[in-house]
Amino acid sequence: MSKFFLRAPWCPLWLVLLFVAVTNAQEWKKIPIPTLPAFHPQEPKRVELPNGMVIFLQEDHELPFIDMTARIRGGSRVEPATKTGLVSLYGEVWRTGGTKSQTGDQLDDYLEIRAAKVETGANADSTTIGLSSLKEDFNDVFKVFTDLLRDPEFRADKLELAKREAADSISRRNDEASQVAAREAAKLAYGKDNPYVREPEYATVDAVTRQDLVDWHNKYVYPNNIILGVAGDFDPAQMEAKLRAAFASWAKGPAVKPPDIQFTPAKPGYYLIKREDVNQSWIRMVTLGTTRRNPDYYAIEVFNEAFGGGFSARLIQNIRTAQGLAYAVGGGISTRFDHPGITQLAMATKSESTVKAINSLFEQIDLLKTSKPVTDEEIKRAKDTILNNFVFNFDTPGKVLQERMAYEYYGYPPDFLEQYRAGIEKVTTADVARVANKYLHKDQLAVLVTGNAADFDKPLSSLGSVQNVDITIPPPPGSATQQGSEKPTSNDPAAQGKKESNPEGKALVSKVVQALGGAEKLNSVKSVKSKFTVDQKTGQMPGQIQAESSIVYPDHMKLDMTMAQGSFSIVVTPAAAFVESGGQVIQELPPSRRDESMAQIHRDLIYIAQHASDPAFTFAASGSEKSGDTDTAIVDVSGPGVDLRWFVDPQSGKVVRETYQAMGRSGPENTETAFSDWRPVNGLNLPFHRANKQNGQDASTTQFTSFELNPQVDPKIFEKPASAPQQ
Amino acid sequence: MSRVALLSQPIPRNYSALIRQALAVAVLTMVLAVLSAAQDLAAFEKRVTVKKLPNGLTAIVCVRPKTAPVFSFYTNVDAGSVQDPMGKTGLAHMFEHMAFKGTDTIGTKDYAAEKVALQKVEDVYAQYIHERDKPVDRDEAKTKQLEQQWQDAIKEAQQYVVPNQFSEIIESNGGENVNASTSEDHTEYHYSFAVNRLELWAYLESSRFIHPVFREFYKERDVVKEERRMRTDSSPIGRLIEQFIETSFSAHPYHRPTIGYMSDLNTFSATDAQEFFNRYYIPSNMVVAVAGDFDPNQAMGIIEKYFSQIPSHPKPDERTTTEPPQNSERTVVLHERSQPIYLEGYHRPDYRDKDDAVYDALADLLSEGRTSRLYRSLVRDKKIASEAEGGTGFPGVKYPHIFYFFAAPMPGHTPEEVATAIHAEIDRLKKEHITDDELKMVKTRAKANLLRSLDDNEGLATNLALYQTLYGDWRELFRTVDRINAVSKADIRRVAGQVFVPTNRTVGIIESANAGGAQ
Repeated sequence: MSKFFLRAPWCPLWLVLLFVAVTNAQEWKKIPIPTLPAFHPQEPKRVELPNGMVIFLQEDHELPFIDMTARIRGGSRVEPATKTGLVSLYGEVWRTGGTKSQTGDQLDDYLEIRAAKVETGANADSTTIGLSSLKEDFNDVFKVFTDLLRDPEFRADKLELAKREAADSISRRNDEASQVAAREAAKLAYGKDNPYVREPEYATVDAVTRQDLVDWHNKYVYPNNIILGVAGDFDPAQMEAKLRAAFASWAKGPAVKPPDIQFTPAKPGYYLIKREDVNQSWIRMVTLGTTRRNPDYYAIEVFNEAFGGGFSARLIQNIRTAQGLAYAVGGGISTRFDHPGITQLAMATKSESTVKAINSLFEQIDLLKTSKPVTDEEIKRAKDTILNNFVFNFDTPGKVLQERMAYEYYGYPPDFLEQYRAGIEKVTTADVARVANKYLHKDQLAVLVTGNAADFDKPLSSLGSVQNVDITIPPPPGSATQQGSEKPTSNDPAAQGKKESNPEGKALVSKVVQALGGAEKLNSVKSVKSKFTVDQKTGQMPGQIQAESSIVYPDHMKLDMTMAQGSFSIVVTPAAAFVESGGQVIQELPPSRRDESMAQIHRDLIYIAQHASDPAFTFAASGSEKSGDTDTAIVDVSGPGVDLRWFVDPQSGKVVRETYQAMGRSGPENTETAFSDWRPVNGLNLPFHRANKQNGQDASTTQFTSFELNPQVDPKIFEKPASAPQQ
Repeated sequence: MSRVALLSQPIPRNYSALIRQALAVAVLTMVLAVLSAAQDLAAFEKRVTVKKLPNGLTAIVCVRPKTAPVFSFYTNVDAGSVQDPMGKTGLAHMFEHMAFKGTDTIGTKDYAAEKVALQKVEDVYAQYIHERDKPVDRDEAKTKQLEQQWQDAIKEAQQYVVPNQFSEIIESNGGENVNASTSEDHTEYHYSFAVNRLELWAYLESSRFIHPVFREFYKERDVVKEERRMRTDSSPIGRLIEQFIETSFSAHPYHRPTIGYMSDLNTFSATDAQEFFNRYYIPSNMVVAVAGDFDPNQAMGIIEKYFSQIPSHPKPDERTTTEPPQNSERTVVLHERSQPIYLEGYHRPDYRDKDDAVYDALADLLSEGRTSRLYRSLVRDKKIASEAEGGTGFPGVKYPHIFYFFAAPMPGHTPEEVATAIHAEIDRLKKEHITDDELKMVKTRAKANLLRSLDDNEGLATNLALYQTLYGDWRELFRTVDRINAVSKADIRRVAGQVFVPTNRTVGIIESANAGGAQ
C-alpha cells in the first residue's frame, strides 16, 4: 500500500477504501512460491519368488526399526453367511492361539520384553500378519512371524475368548447412534446380506469351530496368495536373501478366484431408525458408487473435492458455514479398487432441523444440475487442492510401500499414482458436470435418518413414505444356555443349536402335561386372567408392583400395573404394542420390547404344554442337573417364538425352573425362573410363586393371588385409546 | 486431554479407542537413556533451533534433511478451556473456530465497512440478550424485536464476507491434515505444506493471530452447538465422561466441559471471544514449531519476519483454584440404553510432580499391550471384560488431575464385578513389587515409543512445541529418559498406596436401563 495514495487530497475516501480492499485481497498472492525441488521418492524393490510370493523391500535408515506386513488373499467377503464373523475370529485367534511350539501368551511375553509386535488381522478382502521390531531383535521377531505364518495352532481356549469378545461387540453395536447410522446406511447401499456389510450375529459366531479356522488357513495361506512388504533399517541384499531362505521352498497352493459379489441397493425412499436417547439426527443418503477402474474416476475425484471435500467445498460452505446446520457434513461419489464404493451425502443436525437439513442436501444436488452447475473457478480450486497436496501421497517411504502393495494386490499398474496425477490434470469443468449428472440422482438415494422422531421439525413422512428399520439384535439361538454358576464357560450365548425331539424329551413333556392337569383340560384354556405382586430387587425401579394380566392365547396380552410411580398398562397384540396411562398412549413399544413381551406369552407353561404334540415344537432331553436339592431332567424346548430350557422333576413332572434368553432394553440377558407354591386352579395345577434371576443375580419374585381360566375378555381392552401419542 | 476440534474425526468402533478419543489422554512420551546415536539428544541439538522472539513468542525449527520436500507445523497456545470465564464455558474452543474465519484482509470484500457492520451486530446482540435474560420484567415483544434486529444486522454484515477464504487458501495450496483443537490445557493449530509454501504458511499463521476478525460468529456458534450434540448429548460415552469429570472436580475449572454448556453457547458473544483472544493469545503464551526438510536458517528468518509482528501484552494472571483433597468417594450412575461401562478415577498431582514418571510407568504397566495387567486379569483370565485399561493425564496435565481405570463388562457381567477385579489389581500393586520383567518391559517400550515418534514431521513438531510449552525447554522430551529410568519397584508400590485409595476415588458407571417387565 502506498502512502502516496492515502495522502492524495484528490482521492475520495471510498476510492481509497476500495483500493485497500482490492490490493489487500491480493496480499497472500504476492508471497513467492518457489518451484518445488525435484523429488523422486524411493521406490521399493519388487522381488517375485518362483512360488509366486511377491516381496517389496523398502530401505529406510532414519530409525533403527524394521516393519513387515504380509497381505493374504481371501477375506470375510468370502466366508459362509451362516458363519459370518469366521474370518474376524480367525484374524484374532491366529495370533492369540499361538504356534505349535509356543502359546499365544508365551509369545506375548517374548515379544513385549523386546518392545516388539507380531499381530494378525482380517479385512473384507484379505487377512494380514505383520511385525514391528527394533533392528537388533529382528531375527528373534521374524522367527515368531514365520512360525505363525506356517504353523499356527488356533488353541481352542483363545477361540472361546474371541467368541465371547465377538458376542460383547454384537451386544454393544447399537449403543452409539452415530455407529448405527453408518452401519445401516452401508447396508442400504449394498443390500443387507452383501458380504461387505452383513454383520456377525450370536448364531453365526457360535457356529464357528476351531476346525473352520484351521481349514481357512490351509485353504488360503500359500506363497502365491501373499504380498509381503518390508520397510526399515536393513541391507536390501541381505534382507532379500533372508526372505528367500525363509520362503523359497514353500510350495505353491491353489489360486484364489475373485469372488462374484452381488450389490443390491435398497429401494430409494426414506428409512427411519428411531432413537429416544439423542437430540441430533444423523442423515445419510446413499446409493451405489463405482470403482477406480472407471474412466470417470478422475472427474469424480475433482467433483468430490469441489462438492463435499474440505472447507471450500459446497456442502461445508452451504450447510455448515452459511446455515450453521451441522458440525459434521460431507459426501461424494465413492470409488474402491475392486468393488463399487458407497456414494453418500451425510450430516448430523439437531432433531428440530432434520427435515430442513434433508431438503438442504437435496437442494445442493438440484443446484448442481440447474441454476448453479460447477464453475471453472470451483474446478480450478479443486484441482489445485488435489495437485498441491499430491506430494503427501508419497512423502514417507512407508506410504510409497503401502501404495505399491495396494496396486499389486488389486492388479493396478505400478505407476498408478502418476496416472492419477495426469488424469486429474486433464479433467475439465464439462467432465465434472457430466459425472455429477451421471452419478448423483436425488430420486435414486435411500435416505436413512437415525434420530429422535418426536422432535423433528416435520414428520419424515411429509417427504414420502417411510420405512422403519429394525435394528433389534437377534437373540442367540437355543436360549437355554445358563447352566448354573459352576460352569461359567457354558454362559456363552448361542451355545445351543436347534435340536430334534427325542423320545426321552417327549416322555418328559407328557409328564409335564399330566402334572399341569392333562392335555384335555389344558387345551380348553383360551384365556387366563391373573393377579399377582412383583417384587423388583434390581433394575431401574426397585419396589413392589401390583399387577393384573389378561392373556388371550396365542398373542394378546394386557398388563395393568400399579406401583409407587402410578398406574399404567402395557398392551401387546400383533396389531399394536404400547404403554398407556390415564387413557392416553404414553409410549409405543419399540420392536425389541414388543417381541420380548410376545415371547413372555409364548414362554408360559400353559402355552407350551398346549403345544406338546405340535410338530412345530421340539422337546429334546439333554441330561440332568440339580435344581436346588432336586435332581432334574433337562428338556430343551423349541418352537415358533419359543426357545428355552426346562428343568423337570421326573418324579412329579413339575417344571422346577426354566432358563432362557430374554431381551433386556439393551441386549439379551440370561434369565432363570424357578417355580414353586403349586396350587390347584379349576382342574389345572399351577405354580403361584416365581423367582427370577437375571445374569445369575436375583432380580425379582412374582407371587400370584388368583388365576381365572377362560374369563370374559372384552376385545376393546387391546385397542389403542383414540388420543394421539404424546410427543 | 479431552479435545474438541474444528473438524470431526471418524468415530472409532472400538470402545477403548472411543474412550481414549474422549479422554484423549496426554501421556507424555517416555524415554530411555539408551537411544541410538542418530536419535539421541546430542543429535537433535544439531537439528533443532530455538529462538525467543522480542515479542515473547518461542519459535522452534527442526530439520529432517534428505527426507521429502514437506514440513509440518504445530502452534501451541498455552490457554485452554480452563481459562474460560465463569458463565462463558466453551469460549476458548469458540475462538479456535474463529481462527479460521480470516483476517482484515482475508475473508472480506470491504473490511472497513464490515467492521462497522460487525460492531452493530455486537451492539444489538448485547441489547437483545440483556432483555432476553432479564429475570423479571422482561418485555417479550421487545425481546423479539431485538432478536430480529440482531438477525438483520448479521445479514447486513454477511454481505462483506468471502466465506471460508482463509481455509480455502490453505486447501488450494495443498494443506494436509488441516485442523485445530482445544483442550482444558492448550489450544493447538496444525497442518502440513510442501516446503515451497513455508513463507505462505508463516504469513497465514501469523496473520490470524495479528488481526483475527470475528465474522460469522453466531452461525459458527450454531456449528459448535451441533458439535456438542454430537460428542456429548447424543452419545452415552460422551454423557458419562461429562458427568464423571463434573463429579471428580468440585473447585478447579477442570470440572467444566471444554465444549461448553448449552446455555453458555446460547449466550456468549463475539465481543467475549475478542476479549478472550486479547487476554490469552499473547506471544509469550505461544510456541510455534516446524519440522521438515528445509534450510533451518531461512526457515527461522521467515518465522521471525512474520511472527514478530504479533503485538505483545503482559501475561495475564492465570491462577486457578487448586482442587482440594477429595476425602470421600463419589459416584455417578447413568442409566442408558446401552451396554454397561465402568470408569473410576483418582486425583494425582500435576505433571511437574516428582513422581510424574511413576504415573506414566503405572499406565504402561496396566494398559500397554497384551502383557498388561488389566488385559491379562480382566479380559484374558477372568473373562469379565472385553476391554480394560488405566491411564493418566485426564482431563489435562497442567493442573492436578486424574489417573483413571476403565473397563467394559462382558455380557452377563456387571460394573460391580469389574470394579472388584480392578481393585484386586490395585491391591496387588500396593502389596507386591512388580516383577523385573515387567519393569524392563515398561522401560524398553518407553525407548521404542520415543524413537518411533522421531521420524514424523507432525509428531516432532507436536512434541517439541508441547515440551517447550510445558517445561520451557524442548530437551525435556529426551530428558524424561532419566526420570523413567529412575522409576523403581518401590516407587510403584508407594505411589499406588498413596493415591489409589477409596476416599480419593470417583466412580462413573453406565448401567443398562433394562426393560424390567412383569414376569
